[in-house]
Amino acid sequence: MSTITVNQVTKRFGETLAVDQLSFDVQPGEIFGLLGPNGAGKTTCIRMILDIFQPDSGDISVMGGPMSDDKKNRIGYLPEERGLYQDIPLDRCLTFLAALKGMPEKSSSPKLNEYLERFDLYDVRDKKVKELSKGMQQKAQLISTLVHDPELVIIDEPFTALDPVNTEMVKDILQQKRDEGTAIIMSTHQMNQVEELCDRILLIDHGHRVLYGTLQEIQSQFASRDILVKPLTHLPEAIDGVASIRVHNGRHLLSLEEHVEPNQVLKNLINTGTEIAAFEIAVPPLNEIFIQVVRKQSRSQNG
Amino acid sequence: MAKIWTIIKHEYTRHVFEKRFLFSLLSLPAMVLIMALAAVIIALVTTDSSPIGYVDRSGTLTDAVPIEVDGNLFEPAIEFIPYADATRAQADLESEQIQAYYVLPEGFPADREVELNFISAPSGSAQVQFRRFILQHIDIFEGLDPQIVERLQEGSQLTMATVDGTREMREDQWFLFVTPVIAGITFIIVVLTSSGYLLQAVVEEKENRTMEIVITSVTPTQLMTGKTIGNISVGLTQLIVWLIFAWIGLAVAGNFWPFLQDFSIPGETLLVMALMFLPAFVMIAAIMATIGAIMTDMREAQQVSSGFSLLVTIPFYVVTPIMMNPNSALAIVLSYFPFSAPITVLLRMAFTTLPAWEITLNILILVIVAVFTVWLAGRAFRMGMLQYGKKITFKELIGKRETV
Repeated sequence: MSTITVNQVTKRFGETLAVDQLSFDVQPGEIFGLLGPNGAGKTTCIRMILDIFQPDSGDISVMGGPMSDDKKNRIGYLPEERGLYQDIPLDRCLTFLAALKGMPEKSSSPKLNEYLERFDLYDVRDKKVKELSKGMQQKAQLISTLVHDPELVIIDEPFTALDPVNTEMVKDILQQKRDEGTAIIMSTHQMNQVEELCDRILLIDHGHRVLYGTLQEIQSQFASRDILVKPLTHLPEAIDGVASIRVHNGRHLLSLEEHVEPNQVLKNLINTGTEIAAFEIAVPPLNEIFIQVVRKQSRSQNG
Repeated sequence: MAKIWTIIKHEYTRHVFEKRFLFSLLSLPAMVLIMALAAVIIALVTTDSSPIGYVDRSGTLTDAVPIEVDGNLFEPAIEFIPYADATRAQADLESEQIQAYYVLPEGFPADREVELNFISAPSGSAQVQFRRFILQHIDIFEGLDPQIVERLQEGSQLTMATVDGTREMREDQWFLFVTPVIAGITFIIVVLTSSGYLLQAVVEEKENRTMEIVITSVTPTQLMTGKTIGNISVGLTQLIVWLIFAWIGLAVAGNFWPFLQDFSIPGETLLVMALMFLPAFVMIAAIMATIGAIMTDMREAQQVSSGFSLLVTIPFYVVTPIMMNPNSALAIVLSYFPFSAPITVLLRMAFTTLPAWEITLNILILVIVAVFTVWLAGRAFRMGMLQYGKKITFKELIGKRETV
C-alpha cells in the first residue's frame, strides 16, 4: 500500500493556479524528492497532504485514507516556515512538541535524551531555545520531527544551517529511517543531496508535474550522446565515431557522431591500444536537468 | 482531549512560573498592604491616646466608675482623670499631660451643659467615650418606657424603599455601591491580563513559526480551546489569589473597622455578575485571538487590542453620570453596548431597579456577540495562521469566501 496517493489534485488561490491536476504516490521505505523552483506549488502540495489546505478537486489518501487525528501522530513534519518556542528551555519545548504528537512525557523523555545526545545537544537541553545557535535549533527541529518514530516524514530543506558533519549525520539518520520502512518526502534545492539520497523524484513547475520517476530513469531520459573516459595512456586525437573530445574535470568527454553506439567507440579505443581506467556514459547532473526543464517550462509559459 | 490538556498545561505553566507573573500577582496585594500600613502609621502618629481630665463642680461624677471601652489602634480607650480645680487641669493641659479637660458646672444636672477645654480638639471617639462616662452616672431616661429607652439607645436606622416596594436599601448596605466598582475593576484587570496573554500566545505562534508544526499535530479547535482555557486559567489564578488576600484583608481589617463586617454581596448581583462577566470574558478573549491571528507582530497587535481594552473601561469614565442618573440615555446605551455592558449593568443595578427583561436582553446580546466573535476568531485563525508577514483585512475576514 502506498503511504501517500495524490490523484488529479487541483488547488487555486483566487486567480492563481497553485497545483494543477497533480498525481503521484509515495511508497514506504523510499526517500521521495519533491522538487521545483520557488513558487512551483511544493508547499501547497505538502499542506494539502497534511490537510492544512483542502484541494479544490481530486483526492489525497494518506496511509490508506483521509487524514485523521491518529494519523497526525504518525507523521513527522519539518516545514519550510519553522521555529521553536523561544522563551522556554529546549527540553521543555521538545517534550511539549512530542506530547502534541501523542507521546506522554514518560515515554518521550528517554527517546528525547537519546536524540539529544546523538545530535550533541544534551548539554544545552536546559538552555532557553533563543540562546541556541541557528544550527542547534535546526537540529532540535529535526529531533521533534523524528522523535515519535513517524511512518511518514515530510521535510523541507533539512540541511540548511547544518555544517558538513551534521549534514552527514542527518543523511545517515534519513537513510536509516528509510531502511526501517519510513516513507520520506524531502523537498530541497540542493540537487547533490537529492542525487545522493532520493530513490524517486517529482519535479513540479507552475503546479504541473514535469518530471516523475526514479532518479535513474530521469537521468537516462536526459542522457546526451556523450561518454566520459579516463585513459591511463595518451588518448589519440581522433577516434572513429567521435565528433569531438573535451577535457572535463580531469576526464575526457567524448561526443559521439550520429548513429554511433558507445560499444563501437569502446571497441575502436581498445583497437588504438589505449589503456582505459574508466569508461561511462555521461549522465547529466540533476542540477542541469532541473535548470534545463525549468527554463523550457518558463519559455513555453511565456510563449 | 489529552492534547488540549497538554496545551492548557503548556500555556499555564509558561506564564504562572515566570517571575513577571509572580510580580504582577503580588503587586496589588502588596500595594494594598503598603497603603494599610501607611494608614496605621498615620493613625499612630495622629491619634492622641493621652488622658482627658474633668473638673466636676456638680458632684455628678463623685465616686465615678471608669467605663469599659474596647479600644483599638485608631480609637484608643481614653483614661479620664478627675481634677479638684480648673487651674491644675489647665496646667496639665499646657504641659501636654492631658489632651483636654471637661468642666461640669454646678448647674449641670439641670441644664446638661458641659465645657470642653483643649489646645487641639480631641477625637470624636474620645468625646463619645466621655459622654458614655457621664451617662453611666446619670439617668437621663428616668421615668421613660423601657422600649422607648431601647429605641433611643439604638439610634436611627434609615431604610429607603421604592414606591412599588420592590426595592429597599438600608444605610448599612454601603457595600451595594462599592461592589460593582470593585467587581468591575477586578473584572477589567483579570480580563485584560488573560486576554493579553492569549494575544501574546497567538501572535507568538506566528512570530516563532511554530504554527505549522502545531496545526499538523492538533486541530485548530483543540489549539484554540487549549490556549484560551490555559490563559483564562492564568487570569483566574490571579483572581483567586487576590480574592484570598481580600478575604484575609477584610477579616483582619474588620477587627479595626467593625462596619467592614457587614460586607456581603446579594445573590442576584452575583448571578448577574456571573452571567455577564462570562460571555464578556469569552468575547474579549476571542477578539484578542482574532487580532493575534490577523496581525503580523506583537507591537502592532498590542496597539489594536488596547483600543478594545479601552472600550471595556468606558463605564468608569462616566461613573458619576451613571450613578446620578442610572436611567439616562447614556446609561441605557452603555448597557446595550457589549463592551461596556457588564460594568454598566452592575452599576445601574446598584442605583436603580432594572426590570428583569432588560437585564436578560443585555445578557442575551452579550452572549450572541460572544458566539459571533468566537466564530470570527476561528475563521481569522484558519485564514491568518499561515500568512506569515501578511495582514488580513477586515473585509477579507468577514467576506463570503475564505481565501484559504
